[in-house]
Order: sequence, then C-alpha cells, then structure tokens
Amino acid sequence: MQRTSKPQRLRARTFPSMGTVVSLTVASTAPAETAVDEVESAVEVVEGIFTQLDLTFSLYRAGSEASRLNRGELALASASDTMQELYSEASEWRLATEGAFTAERPDGGLDLSGIVKAHAMREAALSLRAIGLQNWCVNAGGDVLVSGSPDPGHRTPDTSEPWLAGIVDPLNRQALLGAFPLGSMSALATSGSAERGEHIWAVGSSRPEFAQVSVAASDIVTADVLATAIVAGGTSALDRAVEGWGVEVLAVRRDGTLLSTPGFREAA
Amino acid sequence: MRIRAALATAVASAGVLLAGWQSGAHIAETGTATTTSLSSTASSGNTGSTGNSGTTGKSGTSSGGGNTGSTTAATYDGTQVQTRFGTVQVRVTIQDGKITEVTPLQLTDAERKSAQISSRAAPILRSEVLQAQSANVQTVGGATVTSDAYLTSLQAALDAANF
Repeated sequence: MQRTSKPQRLRARTFPSMGTVVSLTVASTAPAETAVDEVESAVEVVEGIFTQLDLTFSLYRAGSEASRLNRGELALASASDTMQELYSEASEWRLATEGAFTAERPDGGLDLSGIVKAHAMREAALSLRAIGLQNWCVNAGGDVLVSGSPDPGHRTPDTSEPWLAGIVDPLNRQALLGAFPLGSMSALATSGSAERGEHIWAVGSSRPEFAQVSVAASDIVTADVLATAIVAGGTSALDRAVEGWGVEVLAVRRDGTLLSTPGFREAA
Repeated sequence: MRIRAALATAVASAGVLLAGWQSGAHIAETGTATTTSLSSTASSGNTGSTGNSGTTGKSGTSSGGGNTGSTTAATYDGTQVQTRFGTVQVRVTIQDGKITEVTPLQLTDAERKSAQISSRAAPILRSEVLQAQSANVQTVGGATVTSDAYLTSLQAALDAANF
C-alpha cells in the first residue's frame, strides 16, 4: 500500500453497510479544501441511502420490515412502496432469467438482499447527480457504478478517460485477473462463491460451474442480477444474458479457465 | 496415433487436476517455466513421471521416480502440437509430484476464430484479458467482500491511497 505519485484529484471515503464496505471516490477539479467538503457531503448522502435501505431490508434485524414480512406479521400488500417495488422487480427478474435469479430462499423465505444493494447504488447515483456531482465511482463490496471520468477537465467529456475497474482473480484475491473500462456500460457487478462461501445455490443440485462471474451493463441492477443468475445457471444462463441484454461477461470456471465476451478482451 | 495419445494425456491431466482441485491443493506459481515436450511424453507414455522434476524446474524427461517431497510448484509449458482441431499448447503446474493445474496456453484455431468473430462469450486465455495492475485502476470489482475481508483487499488499499 504505497503512496505513489498519484495526483490527489481522487478522494475516497468509506462506510460499512449491508455486511460489507462501501467506497465513494470523487474526481474533482476543485481546489483541495472545496474538494474535501465535496466528497464528505457526498458520502453522507450515499451513506444515508444505504443505511435507510439496510434498516428496511436487513434480515439480520428482527424488527426490520423484511423480517416482519418473512414472519408473516406484515402482508406484502400493506408493506412500504419500496418493499413492494423491489419485490415486484425481483419477481420480474426471476421470470426473465427463467428462475436463475430468485429472491426466494430454499426454505421459502423472501430475501431481497440480492437486489437491495444494487438498488441502493442506483439510488445513490440519482442523488449524486442531484447534488451536481458528475465524476464519481461507488464501489459496494466489489460491485461498481461510475459516472464521468477519474480525470475530468483534461479533455472534453466525449474523449475523457473512463474509470478503469480491476477485477479480482478469484484464485488469488491479491491479484487482478483483468480490467474493464467503464464507459457507456457504467456498471460492473461480480458474483461468486470465493468470498462468502457458496451463497448462491446452483439451479438443480450440481456445483456451480463458475467460480466468479463479472457482468458489465449500463445499469447496476441488471449487471448484479445477471451476474447472480449466471453463477446459478451456468453457461446456458450466460448465453441467455449475453443474447438477451447485450451485457459483457467475464466468467471464471472452477478450474481457472475463462469465458469472455469481447468487451473484457485486450484490444487487438 | 500421436494425436490420440496427446488427447489421452490431456484427459488424464484434467482428471488429476480435478482431484487436486477437490482436495484443495492450491498452487503458488513459483517455479521457473521450462519446456517439456508434450508430444514426446505422450508417445513414451510416462507423463506422470515428469512430476519428479518439480524441485529443480529442469525439463521433465527422466523416468519414473519418487523423489518428490518438495513443496515448490513448477510450471511446464508443453510444446505446440498440431492437431486436426488446430494448434494446441498446455501449461501444467506440478507440486509435490502431482499435476495441480492444467491451463491451455494456446487454443485451437477454431476456438480462437469463434472468439474473434462472435459477440458471445468464448473461451479465452488469461493473457487475452485486458490487463491492468492495481496501480493503474481506480476501483476493484469482485465477489462481495465481507467487512472483515475488505481490510486486506486491494480496494481498501486504493481507498486509503485516495483518502
């Protein structure tokens, strides 16, 4: 962790939420003092969004709306708008992915946590734009959503350098497997079994075919849902995702070999 | 016949790899890469014996033996072999006299072609992924890290550098 000659135009702040750590990085051309205020007020906004959603959807909190719903103390029809909207969004994704993505746990309970984090990132993006920030990167536990460029002001917006996201090698988490430039596809989500154990149940009872799946898309919920669906559904889910949504995919098989769409490949 | 022998070797290697993987054997790629001839080992039929060269990293051509016990892993690149499917080259990683990993260094021409012309996902080599070092990315994607795992992650280092 060396402090290199990296120019101090990127400023990052982090906070814990939803069982992981969320990082906000802001690229600013403002003078140092202004830029610090800028990133600190921005992270406050983002943290507020995550905290509120975590309070509603956490199944680790007995008193959360999601927990009351799961215990049958609350009917979906009387639940909050956010709960109903996310439930309905998750149900649509379940149909669209032919069951590879589902918000239902094997025990029949409802678990929207697979989509809540991405939803929080989507909401954070709206708020960051609303407060006038154009060049930022949100990383929530390895899922990434960006806007603009890490080096704004140098060139015109059309030609500015895109945020470059490294992708962790699931076989060696201190190394990068590759990278993806986040341009028009500004969202990158990665699912796998490397970190939290095999938390995604494969369709049927077979072991997941992929150790890690990264999906780049123009919105973070699509990227997140499809990454989860491909880990659960294997190659056939991967092909459906690429054909149906035009996303870019980099999948690491359990033996370390790779499947990739052109977007993750070194330019020829 | 040579092709068949080479394919049989590859299948056998994959089996060993699978066994190695399931037993949790993990690989540190520390050895120096030397070249062993896939075609010659395939024709002489004693592929497994190349494992005993893992300690020194010298070319694995000697006959069967049991002088393992080393914990260092060594990698060996096979020669490029022409098959009717195109040119094939594999790299094996050997640890404790066992093949722990087999990765294709060169895909068949057919696979390569399909990877180039199709927008669908195709098999690619690790070297073909857009490369980057942690020093020149601004953020790091990966399967969800827990709060504890975050502390030792590359993302944490980047966040600290940009604080």
